[in-house]
Amino acid sequence: MLREDLHVSDQDLLLWADGEVTSQRAAEIQRHVSACWTCRARRAELERAIADFVQLYRRELEAKLPPMDGPRALLKARLAERMASSGAGGSNWFSGARLRTAAALAALLLVAGLAIRISQHGYPRIYSGAVPNVTLTPGAIDPIGVQDVCSAQFPTNDPAVPDPLRREVLREYGLTEVSANAYEIDYLVTPQLGGATNIRNLWPQPALNTVWNARVKDALEDRLHNMVCSGQLDLATAQRELSQDWVAAYKKYFKM
Amino acid sequence: MSEAPEDSTLDIRLLAASAHQKAGKRALEQEITELFEQWRGALLRYLSTFGLSPHDGEEVVQEVFLSLVSHLRKDKARTNLRGWLFRVAHNLALKRRSAVGRTAGTGADVDNLPHPALNPEEQLASNRRQRQLSSILHALPEQDRRCLYLRAEGLRYREIAEVLGMSLGSVSDSLGRSLARFQRADER
Repeated sequence: MLREDLHVSDQDLLLWADGEVTSQRAAEIQRHVSACWTCRARRAELERAIADFVQLYRRELEAKLPPMDGPRALLKARLAERMASSGAGGSNWFSGARLRTAAALAALLLVAGLAIRISQHGYPRIYSGAVPNVTLTPGAIDPIGVQDVCSAQFPTNDPAVPDPLRREVLREYGLTEVSANAYEIDYLVTPQLGGATNIRNLWPQPALNTVWNARVKDALEDRLHNMVCSGQLDLATAQRELSQDWVAAYKKYFKM
Repeated sequence: MSEAPEDSTLDIRLLAASAHQKAGKRALEQEITELFEQWRGALLRYLSTFGLSPHDGEEVVQEVFLSLVSHLRKDKARTNLRGWLFRVAHNLALKRRSAVGRTAGTGADVDNLPHPALNPEEQLASNRRQRQLSSILHALPEQDRRCLYLRAEGLRYREIAEVLGMSLGSVSDSLGRSLARFQRADER
């Protein structure tokens, strides 16, 4: 119960104004503020500060918004592509045995193509695989536990890869003659799940132009992190699934 | 003779399943497009605070809504969609910012954004005031600025805490601290 002679704290005024207090506490504060000019004035000052910020925020950023039409059309096209590639409502041609045959053929062609390139150049000149070379990138792990990766203090984004290391990874995969923008130097096992931040856990992942690209892997990493931190999956399994075949892991955890 | 009716039944079932799948796909596309129309502006505003170019911001928004396809296929995925959209956008923006090597900041020049209802003298005073507030805002720690931006987009404290990986109490402290600085500027 709020005593009539005690003013509402700044923090409680803000929580009340934002609707973040219980209904009982809100009623207490309302009663006090109705009777207290000082607190009403403080509430008005608080609202003025909020209005100042909102005006600044909108004024700085609203003018920058480009029109909606183009981006909406682009999204629709990408959605159609995404859904077709994931088989939702797709053509019957891409179903069952035919899909498996096509996938096996594609895998054979990819292996054959890579073998020819490796025999000619040591490592492929243009690396286009969705999964890394296990010899070069086995997926090194740091010795940390679930408590660490699920802690609120643990970084929520992967550390940036320094340029010299980035160049070294590209060189290792024989990608010195291609645009670096075509590949994202990605951690095979995300550091958010204990992956090491060294070259044994880095590989050049095609940026956007394949189905199994960096964006898709990010979604898998988010899913695995949530599962590990909610106790549905142990950390070692999540690390193993990512390092052995993240594409298979994606299909498993997104039930494709 | 008995096989023909069975084949027909099977065909009808396959057609029905295919039609059902197509209808589901259309409904999902429609839902995502509507969410895009509803949230694109707010997400772009928030993304621009990371110092991303409009093009990079637009690309991140596209990635967010493409990720929404798999998210919406999950059970209970429609609870707190706003928080989910901002959380994914926030994480992607951090990645993109580190990839393109830009620093945070909005970079807008408030002098170039005239207020429609003010005469020149009022405009001058308003610009001076906006510059003062802008310098206060950009002097805040990034986490405090992010709490303000997300609150200005209508997120509840719980959603802000999830997006930024903070506790509820820290969100409340951060907003209180930042608004107190704006209040002190009002008193000058």
